[in-house]
Amino acid sequence: MVLHLEKIIALQKKTSCIRNLCILAHVDHGKTTLADSLVASNGIISSRLAGKLRYLDSREDEQIRGITMKSSAISLHYTTGNEYLINLIDSPGHVDFSSEVSTAVRLCDGAIIVVDAVEGVCPQTQVVLRQAWLENIRPVLVINKIDRLIVELKLTSQEAFTHLQKILEQVNAVTGSLFTSKVLEERAEKDAEAQSSCTENSSADQVYDWSAGLEETDDSDLYFSPDRGNVVFASAIDGWGFRIHQFAEMYSQKMGIRSSVLLKTLWGDFYLNAKAQKIMKGAQSKGKKPLFVQLVLDNIWSMYDAVVTRRDKEKVEKMVTSLGLKVMSRDLRHSDPKVLLSAICSQWLPVSQAVLSMVCEKLPCPAEISAERVEKLMSVGARRFDSLPEKTQELKKAFLDCSADDTAPVIVFVSKMFAVDSKALPQNKQRPLTQEEISQRRELARQRHAERQAANQSAESPRSADAGGTSTPAGPAGNALCAQTEALSVKAAVEEESKEHFVAFARVYSGIIRKGQKVFVLGPKYNPSLALRLPEGCSVADVLPSIPHMACCTVDRLYLLMGRELEDLDEVPSGNVLGIGGMEEFILKSATISTSPACPPFTPLSFEATPIVRVAVEPKHPSEMPKLVRGMRLLNQADPCAEVLIQETGEHVLVTAGEVHLQRCLDDLRERFAKIEISVSEPIIPFRETVIRPPKMDMVNEDLGKQQKVAVIHQVKEEQMKIPEGVQVDSTGLVTLTTSNKMATVGVRAIPLPEEVTRLLEDNVELIRTMEQFSLFAWEDKTLDINQKILENIQDFKVKLESNLQGHKWRGAVEHIWAFGPRRFGPNILLNNIEGYRRPSVWQCLEREKETERAEIRDFDNSIVSGFQLATLSGPMCEEPLMGVCFSVETWDMKISVPQAQQDSVDEDSQPSEPNNDDQSERSDMHETSSNRSRSRAEAAGGSVDCYGPFSGQLIAAMKDTCRYAFQAKPQRLMAAMYTCEIMATAEVLGRMYAVLSKREGRVLQEEMKEGTDMFIIKAVLPVAESFGFADEIRKRTSGLASPQLVFSHWEVIGSDPFWVPTTEEEYLHFGEKADSANQALKYRNAVRRRKGLYVEEKLVEHAEKQRTLSKNK
Amino acid sequence: MSIFTPTNQIRLTNVAVVRMKKGGKRFEIACYKNKVMSWRSGAEKDLDEVLQTNTVFVNVSKGQVAKKDDLSSAFGTEDLTEICKQILAKGELQVSDRERQSQLEQMFRDIATIVAEKCVNPETKRPYTVSLIERAMKDIHFSVKANKSTKQQALEVIKQLQQSIQIQRAHMRLRFVLPARDGKRLKEKLRPLIKTVENEDFDEQLEMVYLFIVQVCLIDPGCFRDIDELIRCETKGKGTLEVLSLKDVEEGDEKLE
Repeated sequence: MVLHLEKIIALQKKTSCIRNLCILAHVDHGKTTLADSLVASNGIISSRLAGKLRYLDSREDEQIRGITMKSSAISLHYTTGNEYLINLIDSPGHVDFSSEVSTAVRLCDGAIIVVDAVEGVCPQTQVVLRQAWLENIRPVLVINKIDRLIVELKLTSQEAFTHLQKILEQVNAVTGSLFTSKVLEERAEKDAEAQSSCTENSSADQVYDWSAGLEETDDSDLYFSPDRGNVVFASAIDGWGFRIHQFAEMYSQKMGIRSSVLLKTLWGDFYLNAKAQKIMKGAQSKGKKPLFVQLVLDNIWSMYDAVVTRRDKEKVEKMVTSLGLKVMSRDLRHSDPKVLLSAICSQWLPVSQAVLSMVCEKLPCPAEISAERVEKLMSVGARRFDSLPEKTQELKKAFLDCSADDTAPVIVFVSKMFAVDSKALPQNKQRPLTQEEISQRRELARQRHAERQAANQSAESPRSADAGGTSTPAGPAGNALCAQTEALSVKAAVEEESKEHFVAFARVYSGIIRKGQKVFVLGPKYNPSLALRLPEGCSVADVLPSIPHMACCTVDRLYLLMGRELEDLDEVPSGNVLGIGGMEEFILKSATISTSPACPPFTPLSFEATPIVRVAVEPKHPSEMPKLVRGMRLLNQADPCAEVLIQETGEHVLVTAGEVHLQRCLDDLRERFAKIEISVSEPIIPFRETVIRPPKMDMVNEDLGKQQKVAVIHQVKEEQMKIPEGVQVDSTGLVTLTTSNKMATVGVRAIPLPEEVTRLLEDNVELIRTMEQFSLFAWEDKTLDINQKILENIQDFKVKLESNLQGHKWRGAVEHIWAFGPRRFGPNILLNNIEGYRRPSVWQCLEREKETERAEIRDFDNSIVSGFQLATLSGPMCEEPLMGVCFSVETWDMKISVPQAQQDSVDEDSQPSEPNNDDQSERSDMHETSSNRSRSRAEAAGGSVDCYGPFSGQLIAAMKDTCRYAFQAKPQRLMAAMYTCEIMATAEVLGRMYAVLSKREGRVLQEEMKEGTDMFIIKAVLPVAESFGFADEIRKRTSGLASPQLVFSHWEVIGSDPFWVPTTEEEYLHFGEKADSANQALKYRNAVRRRKGLYVEEKLVEHAEKQRTLSKNK
Repeated sequence: MSIFTPTNQIRLTNVAVVRMKKGGKRFEIACYKNKVMSWRSGAEKDLDEVLQTNTVFVNVSKGQVAKKDDLSSAFGTEDLTEICKQILAKGELQVSDRERQSQLEQMFRDIATIVAEKCVNPETKRPYTVSLIERAMKDIHFSVKANKSTKQQALEVIKQLQQSIQIQRAHMRLRFVLPARDGKRLKEKLRPLIKTVENEDFDEQLEMVYLFIVQVCLIDPGCFRDIDELIRCETKGKGTLEVLSLKDVEEGDEKLE
């Protein structure tokens, strides 16, 4: 192993001998098995175990589930004349982990695409091909599991050939479509540019080019073809694989045909004319065996036939000798024919040989990085490469050179952080101690022992004076103590070290990175032009001024990634994949490391799957909350695709890419990061309550009013929710209520706000907040300076409100707005429609300059507002906030006579609160009111404490109740939060996708086809309440061909009335007596009420007669 | 007197007896279990689902039917259904185990909801979720008392919970204006009640003789009454007190990073 490591270090310096590649495929197509046989070729694992061990699946759950969940790298060494270093990255195939694929693909120059010979091209195969394409890396193809064609499907060699041809066609079709869509895109861009230039030149003679540019662009080198040597036929489990080169060479000697000719004809519609000893075209039309079948497949088939099917020992022996192989007699005798088979095959056509030689020949070395790819990497987001600072553009050369000189700037890209158990780190690994160390330790122990003994001796000396014999046993006791403390300290050290260590998964693009080197760590949002503004000569070692997203640190440790093991390295030259330790404080998920501040951050990884599955996570024991938070932070760092957030409700939400990914994240949380028990639940779904105009249609779309209601048989709907005494409701919905001490009466009416107004209020929360602040200051009679821009915005907002609140019902409404709520800035309005009460309007910040007539604030004005705030914060339906409701206060009578009575007792220096003289200045007026108010407030509180508590409190309660009853007097509705959902799907799964959408109450908004592909883009809205498990279901039903993306968009009124009961004949017929089937709103409302422990109108037992009659203990 | 034989006997199963004493007589009706509470709360509207039979008994288990004279003298009517409704509404009954269980469950959840609404995690200034509070309440073996109000019990639970988890009543944000003369003295008195003072402002207006001290501060909601009273009495009505927010919590979602 040590020798191996040295060789690798030597090879790392030769850039041209390095191949960085990853293995990509659909789930279960044999990536890890293939990787196993490649690993076995290096002697890291036994070739016998290859395919069974799954060496790169180092996690326990990976081994149990049998799928790969993370990408892991290993460095291999391969010799064919030349020596090569191969940095191999194995990647997961499951959709949920496609983020891991993205991190792997970014670091590579080439990819091995594995396709199952039976299943052919699967959804994930298309995805990975697209990913490879987007990252501009060169793919090669391995058609795996050919043994299944023989053993399971029992195809003849002829059939197998056509089957393989088909698969190859499929793969090439995918590549082709990627190519076309790219060309079309480029063309569209060019067109747009041309058009813009055209309009400038206004050239009249425009010749339209119909050719679409497809013909001009050469795409032949994109495709996979066995005769070009980029296809391997293999069975990784049986350990064999070949390219047609091998057979071509073999037969050219035997048959005397030039190998180049054979190579061209071995794959395709050619056959061997035995008489003429010539290779002819048109095997299919003439019914002849194609060359590939005759020369290649037949051999393999006959071997399988002999070894596996018929177990013909003699024939096997004959074959073995004719191939010139040596098979151990142990294998020959083995009862399982597979053992024999793999023993023969792995010598005859070893898969590692075939794959690795193809990789070395066909995939580029790091130095051959294309300029196009460099530009793509360097230009973040929509920025064009040309727009980058000059110094940054210069770095392109460094990329292209890929030189490992000391002078070259270091550029390293970190694509992900992965957690490693501290035990796995090389510096903590147990290794045999050298002689010196042993003696050193012995010396230390001896010293400690001596000290301890001395201490014991001195401590016990007084006692030993008493009893002379005690000091002798003290020696061993002290020793034991010493040992104990030592053990303790060791334990403490272990505990400390058992923290998770993060290793950055990275690749060097230029220069040499060394241990102890000082480098810049650039976050994904870093902007190089900021750093370049610094004075020249600002070196790395300088203390950095605070530039956003930039940090400076020392490279702590460098590792060679060897699957589940790490090896320490001192320096890594460019072109290599490596691990960097000690970066967890600087890097969150991905970053760019460089010695040059001009280096741009690399383009963010393109994730095929965005996180959509949301769950709420909680610790089982509430006291472990801090541990959970810490664990979630670590998880967030360790997983490129997981997101964690704390919601306003206090829920800790984990967002993952899918159910399997979720499972893995939870396992990680439980076992590695938080180490506590956690429980997972559906996140809480918010609702809003509102009122609407009385509907004109009933539930069966009949016009209301025309019909006569049938007598309800036994469900007498109680009129208006059992309204208690003292509340008067008139037919127009005006509700009047008197406080419990009969001193004040408030009359309120609830009016639905138009939808546009609600939206307007929601969008302008900040403005409302500013206005509120202003009135608060005015209240204290100070002024808050608001800049002109905001004032203009407020004015604009007011105008918009006015234009939306038209009609006689709303006349003057905007001027009369009293407050917004809940929390003073929500989407509900309190209107002041009291006759004879003019109070300062909420718009007073606009009228600062205008000397308007002074408005007076009545006593207890604030209590009314507070009551309104409380009422809007939680509605009567299920204690959720209100939205889009306007409460108009129409009457407010106070019978309170306290102010007059108490006037005398109030301070002498305050002026009487008579209406102020007009000649007084505005300023003193304001003073007056404020002092006036403060006094009356105190009076009220002091003077009116009766048996019902302070009066202000009573008024708040009365106002709140009035609002609630006024709300209930109108038709109430729930509002649900809605997601907009964008789904990409292929044409064949559209139907099934619509089925899922409609089952979950989704509504399709639009559907369009993406140009150049067969993908459809569907836009739909979906209630948040129905979204739990939606992504998973849609993926399952469409076998992964449609992937939704959910974004919160708006609130929508649910059409059905939660209090609805059938009243007409038709409704009875349609819904039945209980009508509990269709009412979505009732379902939501009851769920929320039950969650909150509110009363739910539900029977404990549905049918009295159908109860269990037995007593409990029977 | 009918003959008491098994053939003419109607056996009732699942009986819940509702009793009422009226006019010196005891009356009973036979109802189904788990149904009487639903009837009282209005969830069950079908009387036949509640009553086993609309006969009024003197003793249900013995099958003794009440005499008509007694009924009419006690209830003033002979309509059995009407009498049954009266007894259902006002009579006493033994609450069945399932009814009690569901009632307690509901109260438990209600208490948890109240606690979750009133409290925050002092570290993050964010509320706890109801399910977490429920679990914590179970951990400290809290038992619901059916005859106490949920709000009262919630306030007790908060104190108990503070020993096991990091929890705290959400602070109120107040703002008060004190006249300068009493201000200094009052401030000392207020100090122990106030958690944090966010903003303090002295404002002198030359035209008028007033001097204000404006304070924006956070307090524990339990102290509100005290503070209110202090300001009212000490300033003789010149100070004002205003509640800026009932709950001081973090708003919006936060991404953990």
